[in-house]
Amino acid sequence: MTIPAQKPARKLSMKQRYSALTHDLDWTPTYVQEEQVFPYTTFEGIKIHDWSKWEDPFRLTVESYTKYQAEKDRRLYAVLDGFAQSQGQLGLTDARYMNAMKIFLQGIPIHEYDAHRNFSYLARHLNGPGARFAALCQSLDELRHAQTEVHTLSHYNTYFDGMHDWKKWSDRVWYLSVPKSFFEDAVTAGPFEWLIAIGFSFEYLLTNLLFVPFMSGAAFNGDLPTMTFGFSAQSDESRHMTLGLEAIKFMLEQDEDNLPIVQAWLDKWFWRGYRLIALVAGMMDYMLPRRVMSWKEAFELYFEEQMLGGLFKDLEYYGIKPPRHVQWAIDEKEILSHQVYWILYQYSHAAAFTTTIPNAEDQAWLEEAYPETRPMYRDSVWDKAQRVMDDGGRFFNPGLPQLCTVCQIPMGFTEPGDPMIQCQRQSVYEGERYDFCSDGCQWIFDREPTKYRQSWLPVHQIFQGNCGGPTLPDVAAWYGLQPGDGGEYLGSPDNLNWLEWHGQTPKEA
Amino acid sequence: MAVTAMYDYDWPSRSRAELYGDDQLVHVWWRGNPYFVSAQTFRFPKAMPFGALVNDVLKGFYTADPDFVPESLDSAMWRIDHQDVTPDLGASLADNGVGHKSLVEFSI
Repeated sequence: MTIPAQKPARKLSMKQRYSALTHDLDWTPTYVQEEQVFPYTTFEGIKIHDWSKWEDPFRLTVESYTKYQAEKDRRLYAVLDGFAQSQGQLGLTDARYMNAMKIFLQGIPIHEYDAHRNFSYLARHLNGPGARFAALCQSLDELRHAQTEVHTLSHYNTYFDGMHDWKKWSDRVWYLSVPKSFFEDAVTAGPFEWLIAIGFSFEYLLTNLLFVPFMSGAAFNGDLPTMTFGFSAQSDESRHMTLGLEAIKFMLEQDEDNLPIVQAWLDKWFWRGYRLIALVAGMMDYMLPRRVMSWKEAFELYFEEQMLGGLFKDLEYYGIKPPRHVQWAIDEKEILSHQVYWILYQYSHAAAFTTTIPNAEDQAWLEEAYPETRPMYRDSVWDKAQRVMDDGGRFFNPGLPQLCTVCQIPMGFTEPGDPMIQCQRQSVYEGERYDFCSDGCQWIFDREPTKYRQSWLPVHQIFQGNCGGPTLPDVAAWYGLQPGDGGEYLGSPDNLNWLEWHGQTPKEA
Repeated sequence: MAVTAMYDYDWPSRSRAELYGDDQLVHVWWRGNPYFVSAQTFRFPKAMPFGALVNDVLKGFYTADPDFVPESLDSAMWRIDHQDVTPDLGASLADNGVGHKSLVEFSI
């Protein structure tokens, strides 16, 4: 007896495979109500009528995703090995460049992990299979980014201070409460607000202002590992941007009642994100030995031109307006970095990075980039700090700063139009006063006071006795800081080691 | 506006007055001097005289600015929570109207 030869099944096309491996694995529940399977997608007030309208332009499958990512990771780790073996850290522009990477390591990877966790939650709890699968891919991306960022920077930990205890610092140190409170604010929101907060506002509106400065800064300052990481993450980031844009358009197209909710989230999260990346402004203009572009130029290109001039023109169709406090941000572009770095300079004795007065070359660059505002700050603060140095001292603020209840940054930002007068905003809620650095942060508090009155404000926690004790050494010990992690750069272990590695003495430098 | 949540969302302030006992937090702001990048937050007894704040705390604290002249505080203009005041140096912070997280502002 002969068995007739069966014709092998025709291979599925990419599109068919994507459909079979994602959408076809979905089913409509019959034993329980849909709300019981997906309990978190109604309480925020967003109305979705047809989840199948969610488009995923990338059409990835687990198979194609893992194959592609493994190849990228192999390439990254080859670069890391080569850099370590060739003592690549000696080829950086200067040891003080590492301060930018310290802030990156302390402030970013742990929150990539938060993002990984929350996208996993979305991958389970969004109703539509297309949306769930896109969230699953982003969840994996965020986990990979957390890991690859830590691995990329771990080589430097052998040679530089300020990198050994980033996880503990993230939970405890004052300036790291800024990113921590931002991401915890987002993960404690519902799934749709998260998509606007992180997927759209952070990953789409502001991502270029966060990543481009760090990654181009790396490229300009001899940091091959970080630059390679940046390129490796870039294709994921473009997928995240697409997801963020898809999310906002999907919500707006599903029901016109969604518009006011989405607009309010956009107003809130633009300002939250903008205040968070103020740290990047200080880093770009004051911490890179070789600069890429100024904060002001980056803001004009990546935000004013690309977002306000491009994206928001497209979103007008849906009734979306530019973020509520955007004009305040535009007005701040001339002064933001000066104010942020002045905060970091006077409190770096309680930080895990070092700061120093801009040298002659830095000053020339700053005055060219900011001809109107830089001389004002030079005269009012930097010349005085230099005088203190010349007399053998170093200005560190002997007290603790007033913090904004929402962004948690020391309240060093100024009134619009008056760069010498700090902005003071207060709201009273149920008999208690709360302080804010700006109209933006005050507006966010006034919308949800019961959320923000729980802020873990580092200064208030120190005064409540929850941070190791009342003195600076007590708090520094509780933070897990070691000598050399913070303070003045000149004469620091990083500075002295650098000179020794290059056969110089401090006087020649 | 209440927080949009799946349950009645109401938690106490993490910096409420009762957490500080007989003390309170006070913000002190040297208006017009950007050398101190923001107002400072202190923890003081509510019963501390305003004069002790000026003479025992601030006259020492602000010497971190090399141009600060301590006596200049004797003729400073004061505001508490954005209202012009002439503080009674012998009276307590509380009796001068300084509450928990009040803003005490001066210019010289």
